[in-house]
Formats: sequence, C-alpha cells, structure tokens
Amino acid sequence: MVLPAVELEDVSKTYGKHIAVNDLSLSVPRGSLYGFIGPNGSGKTTTIRMILRIIHPDTGSIRVLGHSEAAAANDRLGYLPEERGLYKKLTVRRMLRYYASLKSMPRHEIEREIKDWLDRFELGAWADKKIESLSKGMSQKVQFIASVIAQPSLLILDEPFSGLDPVNTEVIRSAILDLRNRGTTIIFSTHDMGVAENMCDSVFMIYKGNKVLDGTLSEVKQQYAADSIHLQWNGHSSALQEIPEITRVIDMGSYQELQFSGDPQVILHQIIERGDVDLFKVTRPSLHDIFIRIASPDSVPSETPDLTSV
Amino acid sequence: MNKVLVVARNEFMIAITSKAFLVGVLLMPVFMGGAIGVQFLTKDQVDLEPRKIAIVDKTDRLLETLIKRSETRNLSGIYREKEEPKVQIEPKFEVVDAGLSDTEEGQAEALLSDRVREGDLFAFAVIEPNAFEIGAIDSIRYYSQSPSYQRLPNWIRNSINEEVITTRINDLQLDPKSVAAVTQTIPLRQFGLVEMLDGVQADAKEENRALVFGVPFAGLMLMFMMVMSVAPAMLNNVLEEKIQKISEFLVSSVTPFQLMLGKLIGSISIGLIMSSLYLSAIYFLARHYEFADAVPPSIYAWFMFFMLIALIIFGSLFSAIGAACSEIRDAQSLMTPVMLMVVIPMMCLAPVMDSPNSFFAKVISLFPPATPMMMFVRIAIPPGPAAWEIILGTTLVVAFAIMCVWASGKIFRIGILSQGQTPSFAQLFRWLISKA
Repeated sequence: MVLPAVELEDVSKTYGKHIAVNDLSLSVPRGSLYGFIGPNGSGKTTTIRMILRIIHPDTGSIRVLGHSEAAAANDRLGYLPEERGLYKKLTVRRMLRYYASLKSMPRHEIEREIKDWLDRFELGAWADKKIESLSKGMSQKVQFIASVIAQPSLLILDEPFSGLDPVNTEVIRSAILDLRNRGTTIIFSTHDMGVAENMCDSVFMIYKGNKVLDGTLSEVKQQYAADSIHLQWNGHSSALQEIPEITRVIDMGSYQELQFSGDPQVILHQIIERGDVDLFKVTRPSLHDIFIRIASPDSVPSETPDLTSV
Repeated sequence: MNKVLVVARNEFMIAITSKAFLVGVLLMPVFMGGAIGVQFLTKDQVDLEPRKIAIVDKTDRLLETLIKRSETRNLSGIYREKEEPKVQIEPKFEVVDAGLSDTEEGQAEALLSDRVREGDLFAFAVIEPNAFEIGAIDSIRYYSQSPSYQRLPNWIRNSINEEVITTRINDLQLDPKSVAAVTQTIPLRQFGLVEMLDGVQADAKEENRALVFGVPFAGLMLMFMMVMSVAPAMLNNVLEEKIQKISEFLVSSVTPFQLMLGKLIGSISIGLIMSSLYLSAIYFLARHYEFADAVPPSIYAWFMFFMLIALIIFGSLFSAIGAACSEIRDAQSLMTPVMLMVVIPMMCLAPVMDSPNSFFAKVISLFPPATPMMMFVRIAIPPGPAAWEIILGTTLVVAFAIMCVWASGKIFRIGILSQGQTPSFAQLFRWLISKA
C-alpha cells in the first residue's frame, strides 16, 4: 500500500486565544496535484508551515512522505512561499547552488539541474548575472527554480502565479504539470479558483481553521445540487434581483452566475420578460461559487453541505 | 551539522567577497596608514599669521624680558631645524606694551578686550605686581578669544616663570648651577619581580610602560572593534533576509536554529580572520621594531579565545534581535541593553588598568558579559590574575555564551516568522520560556 504524501491527523494550532487550525485531518495522495483553497487568514499558511515543520502543531500528528520526524523528509520537500525573496547581490547560479546545497544535493547533480532548468526557462545567459539585474518575471522564474532544483518528491507552491504575466504563467504552469506527470506530489495554495479548477485533481478548503471541503473536484461538486444558472443576456443585474426565486447573483463579467430555488423554467420566463437571453444553463456551482458561498460574510452555515468526508 | 556548515559557508563567502569586507579589512591598514601619512604631511601646515600680544606688566620688570625673548624666538625658534633655506613652521609672537594711560588702567581688561575683538591684538596678558613673591598665585592672567590655541599662553607662562625663578635665585644669592644640580630629578626604572629558576636568581625584566598599557588597551580596542563590526552586521543580515522574505524559504530547508548557528559560525569566522590579519600585522611590526619578545604568545592566544567568546555572545544576541524585529528602527530599542553590555568594559577600562587586582577589577572581570574584554585586560597586565580567577571567569563566560546561543535560538525560531509589531521585552521573555 502506497502511503499518502502528507497525512494530518487531528492537528490543531493556536496562537494565544486565536485558533489558527482546529482538529484538522487531511490525506494528500502521492502523485496528486492538490489544491489548498481558503480566504486570507483561514489557516492555509499555518497548515503549510506545519507540513514543512517550520512550526509544530499543539496537538495531532503529521506524517510527510512517510516520516513523522521533522528532519527526515526535509530534503525531499520543495517550497515556494507566497512572499518571495532572493539574495539580490548573488548571481543566479550561486544562489541556486546554495539552495540546492541546503537540500543536501550532490554537487554534480546541482550543476546539471541548474543548467537544465535555466535552459528550460531561457535564463541560461543570466546564470552568472546578479539577481538584482533580473526583471521581475525572470526573478519569479528563478524563485520557482529554487523551489524545484533539488528534485523534491513533495512540492508546496503558495500562489505560484501571483504577479506573473500570461506568458510566464504558462511557462510555470507547464513546468508544474510536467513535475506532476513525473510523479511529484504537488500541494498548490491559491486564491484563483479558476486555476484550482483547471489544474488540480483534488481540492481542500479551510475556513476559520476548519476543513470545509476535501475531495476530488467532481466529488466536491456532486455534493452541491444543480442550483446554479449560467446566464448571458442584455439586461442589467439589478433586474434579476426582482425575481423572487433568485437568491443570489454573482457577476462574472461575461456572464452571471445565479443561485436559485424553485423551478428554473419559471425563472427563465421571468428573465425573458426583462431582456433577450443568449445563454441559460442550469448547472452545479463552480468552485468559485462554492468558495464564495462558504467564505462570504453573509454565507449561511446551514446551506453548506458536509463535504469533509467525501 | 552539514546544513549548518552550508549556511556558514554561504555567509562567509558572501561577506568575504563583499566590498564592505575588502574596504573594512584589507583597505583599513591603507586608510590608517594614509591618515597617519596625511597627518605627517600636514603637520607643518600651521597658520603662520603673527600673534600679537599686549602685556600689562604691573611689575615693570617682565615686559622687556618678554620682548627680548620673543625677538630671539622669532629669529631662530620658529624654523625647521637644520634646513636651508629656512622653512617657518611656527608663527611669530609679537610682544608689545599695552600702552595704557594711568586713567585707562582701571578699565585695562575691557579696553584690551575690545582691541582683540577689533583684530588689533591676538591676545593680552596682565601680570600682577606680586608675580615675584614666593607663593604668589593668580599673578598672570591671559585673555583671548581663541581658547584652543595653546602655544602662545604656554610660551608666555614658561617665559615669565623662567625669568621669575632666575630672579628669585639671584635675590637669594644662590648659584644657579648648584640649584640646577640640586633640583635635578632621578629617573625611576620599573621592573617585574625577581624569580628563582632552578635555585638561581634570574634578573628581573625591566617593564616597558608603553607595552604594559599599550597591549591591553590595543587588545581591548581591537576586540571592541571586531564585536562592533561583526555583531551589528549579523543583525542587519538577519533582518534583511526577514524583510526580503528569504527567511521563510530558508527555514523550509533548515531549522531556524541551524540557520542561526550557521550564520553565527560564518560571521565569527570573518571576525577571527580579520583579527588574525591585524594581529599578524602587529606581530610583524613588533618583530621589526624588536619588541616582539615583550608580548608572550599566550597573550595572542588569550586574545583569540576571548574574542571568539565575545563574538558568540554578542553575535547570537544581535541575530536574535534581528529576527525579532520587522524594521531596522524597531531594533534600536532592543539593541540598547545589549549595546550597554558591549560598552561597559570600555567604561571600566581606566580603573581596571590602574588596579588590575582590585576587588572591582575582579568582580567586573567575572561578570560574564564583560569577562572577554576585562579578563583579557587583566591577563595582559603582568603578573595577571590568579589561576583560579582565570578558570572561574572562563567557565562562567563559556556557560554564559552557551546560554546566549540557546536563548537567542529560541527567540530566533519564533521571531524569524513573526510579522508586524516588534515584541516587547516581556513578550521576548514569553518566547524564551515557550515550549514551541
């Protein structure tokens, strides 16, 4: 039996009177691309730091790559923090060499990996330039390389696309998927539900320190009824508020996502009375909508199904 | 341990290849030599504007002597010796009679002060009638608006005193040569104690006063300089990594304690290399001037030992402060007590050098934060402290250094990931005793 890459059992962490993580259990399968989602301050970073053994839980147990001791799996972990920093005065090569050395990587492998990754990201010509001379996009790519240079078995990425332009986003996205295809387990923390929905095999959502979602995307969505409508029309959102069966309107820009109760045919008739409809599709809620439903200030806890055991 | 060495090596290489290190270590002797050279070259660059001084001579016996002496000085005493053509290196002193009328004498000081203000005079002096009386005080008063210029008042004082003493000797009908012979001082030579070696009395070594005070003073200054170079740099380094968000990345690969220890070892290595360079330079200079034997090798060894301990203590404390703060200005308040610990030995230097075996010297040298500097000073002054004092001081300071590293490690571990408000001392104490 293959052990999970990460296993948390009844883990809690408090800071003073604030409960950052409450009785959390979690299992990340090996080789999966696991999305960690949750609003700011929900406990994501604390959970990630506990997995990385930067901080220790007050109660509960954590096993990473089969080890419960802090240092045992350390060299097989890669981490890209949300807030990134590089040694501005070091050259790209020297800094990557340092980071790889901290992961106990043999010297000859370090040089080979540096060359491969820099070539892949078209940064070969910058290998011996100081970090301070790189553009923002280049620095972000170097930061990503630093997190994967030691060929980690488990890679934790905290908002990996933050601040990247579309071209660099695609380069990093492709690299992440390649790593996953080569068997690397990837935990992926993000606020971008679109990215999580498109890339991740499974998602885990933490809210106010508690697990509120955990499972594959389809499993998560199955827990919600088909209570959403994707609508494209020429009317204004405010006109939809007049329809009593529509309980919530989320403007997604090119379309609106409606949450409703009752008969969708009745709703369609009422919308047609107010404007011309281009698209009307009854569907399950998107991950974005699920996130909003759980994390928005006016969310009603009783509306949220128990999804922690899917 | 391997990761500690990786961090240490990185810190060491970053520091040793930085411009700051090259400037601080390799160019320091050049700068110091340059500063001495500039002083040497500019020593003759004095203001040669003649200094005119008016004398109110109420004895009616000294003015003429002063005028004559000034003329003699102006002819031959203001030029560089044995050099042709003559190079003037001091200004002429022009002594004149204040020339006050009887009615003006009551306001002499006020009138002459105005003349100084107007630039007519550089200074003026008033000589009271009792100047020749034995036991007279306050007989000569010198007035100027240039209090930092001492050559003229010194010349006036010496000239008048020489004349007054000569006059007194003559008045007492004494032979000036006999007086000079009688009052000649006897030099005092200082020795260490005589020791018996294999039953034979060995000659005591004559003490070199310059070395007796110079070695501990120079050692203390060098240690202070090294601590002030290395420890605050560690604070900046840790704080910069925290601000630039490098720390979080690093502590995902090494434990915070390993990170701090690695930084400490790297920075201490820099300090030891810098010290070794300076000590080597001092040793070769001492050999060149043939007094290397006067400083025993054990002094160098003790210096390096106490220097290492001082760097461990203050390096770890400063790095903990760097980890606890989020901005450099916040570090100031936390630095104050630690800086005080660094500075205390400097403030205690004079009494300890004066009486290295006094009760105060013993206590301060056994107070661990001050031990590295104060115990070194005491060891460097012969015959040095008793063996038990050295053993006790060394044991206490090593234990204190270990405690500092442990305590700093605890603060570092929590501080390096904390954000926002700088912790108070109470909060730091809570971090210290926390289990996490």
